[in-house]
Amino acid sequence: MAHNNSEVQGRQPLSNARLGILVLLGAETMLFSGLIGTFLVFRVGNVTWPPPSHIGIELPRVVTGINTALLLLSGYTMVQAWRAIQKDRVKQLRNWLLITGALGLLFLGVQGSEWVQLIRNGLTLQSGVYGGIFYVLIGCHAVHVLSAVIWLFIVFGMAMAGRFSATRYVGVDTCTIYWIFVVALWPILYVLVYLS
Amino acid sequence: MHRFFFWVSLLIVVMLIVPTYLEACPGCKTLDDPIGKGFNWSILFLIAMPFTVFGVISGTIFLHYRRANTEPTD
Repeated sequence: MAHNNSEVQGRQPLSNARLGILVLLGAETMLFSGLIGTFLVFRVGNVTWPPPSHIGIELPRVVTGINTALLLLSGYTMVQAWRAIQKDRVKQLRNWLLITGALGLLFLGVQGSEWVQLIRNGLTLQSGVYGGIFYVLIGCHAVHVLSAVIWLFIVFGMAMAGRFSATRYVGVDTCTIYWIFVVALWPILYVLVYLS
Repeated sequence: MHRFFFWVSLLIVVMLIVPTYLEACPGCKTLDDPIGKGFNWSILFLIAMPFTVFGVISGTIFLHYRRANTEPTD
């Protein structure tokens, strides 16, 4: 009977884990949609952007652009990790996961230093609609990157313990999908918040 | 029953005779203003998102099942 069950599991077109992560990402998309919708009201609703009260404050577009490239690169390395485990190359999986985690931490570090600079320049959460929507939208994404990095290092720890193989890699699979979501979301936010 | 239809018809006739301008929501009052346009874009975006999310999830499920059905069985 157990054999039959495993056979049925093996033929499942879409695993429960994948379906679960899809539903989670659906909810995440709606969360960010609400925040982007709020941003659109303020952005389109203001003829001058940033509002006159924040005229002197410039967002670091170039540094964030480079940071965007780093995050996109981390998406590539994550896919490489996923491909490596499909070919049963566990050592390559570990290396690619480590590079991806490092790129994620670098992205967060650069963003953190940007925030310190912006707060010193007077852009705070309480300094008006511009500061409020900037920190909520970008901060919400940063929390997601942080959670993705934590998840990635848990997967890395499991890879070090030899828990993954070419036939059993659901942890890598779900982590990759989540990482790609977080990476794909960022250019949209960058264009909306920094370039519009 | 006839009385019910009479009163409903009378209500409709009165509503047609005395038309008033109604505002559906406070944001729609100033559609030509930038803030009205902002609300418009935001609402359109938020209307589209549930369909997009549902479409992507159901599309993924559909593709996985179709791929599984077309793959040759051992």
